[in-house]
Amino acid sequence: MKAQEQRAGATAVAPAQPGSTPAQPGPAPALVRLTGVEKVYRTQRIETLALGGVHLDVAAGEFISVMGPSGSGKSTLLNIIGLLDAPTGGVVALDGEEIRFGSDRRLARLRNLNIGFIFQTFHLIGDLDVLDNVELPLLYRGLSGGWRRMMARAALERVGLAARTHHFPSQLSGGQQQRVAIARAIVGNPRLLLADEPTGNLDSRMGEEVMELLHRLNREEGTTIVMVTHDQRWADTTQRIVRLFDGRQVA
Amino acid sequence: MLGNIIKIGFRVLMRRKFFAAVSLSCISFTLVVLTVLVALLDHAVAPLPPENHLDRTLRLTSVEMSGPDNRTSGNPGYAFLDRYVRTLPGVEAVSILSEQATAVSYVGEQRVECKLKRTDGDFWRILRFRFLEGGPFSAQDDHDANPVAVINAATRHRLLGDGAPAVGQSIDLGGRSFRVVGVVENVPADRAIAFSDIWVPIGTSPSQQYRSEFMHGFQAMVLAKDRRDFPRLKEEFQQRLLRVELPDPQAYDSMRGALLTSYEQLPSELLGARPGESRLGQFIGLLGVGMLLFMLLPTMNLVSINMSRIYERSSEIGVRKAFGASPATLVRQFVLENVLLCLVGGAIGLVVSLFILNWIGHTGLVPYARFTLNVRVFAGALVLAVFFGVLSGVYPAWRMSRLHPVAALQIH
Repeated sequence: MKAQEQRAGATAVAPAQPGSTPAQPGPAPALVRLTGVEKVYRTQRIETLALGGVHLDVAAGEFISVMGPSGSGKSTLLNIIGLLDAPTGGVVALDGEEIRFGSDRRLARLRNLNIGFIFQTFHLIGDLDVLDNVELPLLYRGLSGGWRRMMARAALERVGLAARTHHFPSQLSGGQQQRVAIARAIVGNPRLLLADEPTGNLDSRMGEEVMELLHRLNREEGTTIVMVTHDQRWADTTQRIVRLFDGRQVA
Repeated sequence: MLGNIIKIGFRVLMRRKFFAAVSLSCISFTLVVLTVLVALLDHAVAPLPPENHLDRTLRLTSVEMSGPDNRTSGNPGYAFLDRYVRTLPGVEAVSILSEQATAVSYVGEQRVECKLKRTDGDFWRILRFRFLEGGPFSAQDDHDANPVAVINAATRHRLLGDGAPAVGQSIDLGGRSFRVVGVVENVPADRAIAFSDIWVPIGTSPSQQYRSEFMHGFQAMVLAKDRRDFPRLKEEFQQRLLRVELPDPQAYDSMRGALLTSYEQLPSELLGARPGESRLGQFIGLLGVGMLLFMLLPTMNLVSINMSRIYERSSEIGVRKAFGASPATLVRQFVLENVLLCLVGGAIGLVVSLFILNWIGHTGLVPYARFTLNVRVFAGALVLAVFFGVLSGVYPAWRMSRLHPVAALQIH
């Protein structure tokens, strides 16, 4: 699907007020809603604006990409959506619920249940085999070993790597490693997948494989995906592109 | 979860074999020293045969008499023990025994020195020696001053040889002949009360002067019916000390001392306490501080190794946090990994300790002692290993669990 670019501030759904719900009937409430989100890094001498006044709604089932030059705040935005980093201003709401960034434990729980991450450098744990890597998010759900292994195998099947369960990451190609990372991200059936340049370390053929997989997850399983990418080709395949420049949302 | 932690802990350990060897050596050495200490301490104070009733036994090994210008302390005398301890009400048995002396005997032309204790009939009721031959002498033997003796296996070997039965044979002690009535297993020398080579009745003492002495030469064991009687017996003894009739009231007007358990007695002796003072609390405190100080250096070493090892895993920490691990979960994981490492080190240490204890036993440093790793020592070593693991694992784990997930992922 060709991406439809949006002008700054012209988001599909009106920004939510903290603690409020959209007033007018319309599309389903956004799965992710950022309202005036900003991130400023402060040291004793200088302040650096990483993100300023970002309004963004991501509807359930959407596949959007975030683009911008290096240092434009793409990863910061993704980290804030993924509850890995706290904004210095504005409101982040997940599934209509405003997020309070105070408790690490609560944030960890929210991430565990709702969000899957795919990183550019895969970030697989080299000391664990494929199955153990994929099981990882389930460890923090208190599931039994049998359930964990069953779910991990199912996730590996979904990414076409069922035959590689006992390989170690170093024994796999880059594309295979990224597919393992995707299996890990989807094993707990999160509602939101955040992918930070998932094809950035892959050649074009492997990149294509990974993109096909992401589209399949979005199309067939309704997984909501927010993907940061530098590559216009891949961004064009998503439903919407959000553009950032110097921390500001420009499209 | 535990399986996962064991798996990754092992793989991380194997990733840097040199670090692993340094860590394990450091842990093993520390735990070897501590385990050997625990084993020696256990051997000295645990309820081992013949001190089977240690949990019901009180001892009086030192007293102090003082007056306006005089003070004397040491072992109590027979007269004092006979009058104020042997008559304690509601006890199962009271035994009076002499301090250890050296008896000289001759086998042909060869001079043989043996340790000798004089004791009474109740001694054999309170301490349950294993008799290899014959049996103990009785209270009647003591009363009648019969020249009978119980000897240990080593003395039988040295004085009588291993051929014919020892019971019924005579041994010469300081020019006097004693008939052997029993042979017991050797008791290690660190069991101060029970240890000796030869036991003879008190009544066979060369002089009867001991019967009138308040100080010096003897000690007592009191076997209570129940350990819950200890407070009552201790209090009753203190009351008796207040009313004690001292032989020379002009020179001495008070006496102090206390019935102590074996656990209280050892610290008092080691810390040079005055008679009657229990230094158990102070001893435990000093032991704890000593162990902590001893563990401090290897702990710091291990903390530093752990810091660098965990820092190498910052990417993993970032990933785990991203996928839902809370700081507390990560602390648990890293501490547990470290405890497992320490348990491996502890297991190696335990095996090495076994050899060292065996070697100490063979040096004859403590006569007749055979140091072993029993369940108590094993449990002690286990506790030490876990404690060491927690001590050296908590700080690095806490530091790394505070790592911001974004920063942790970027370090990679």
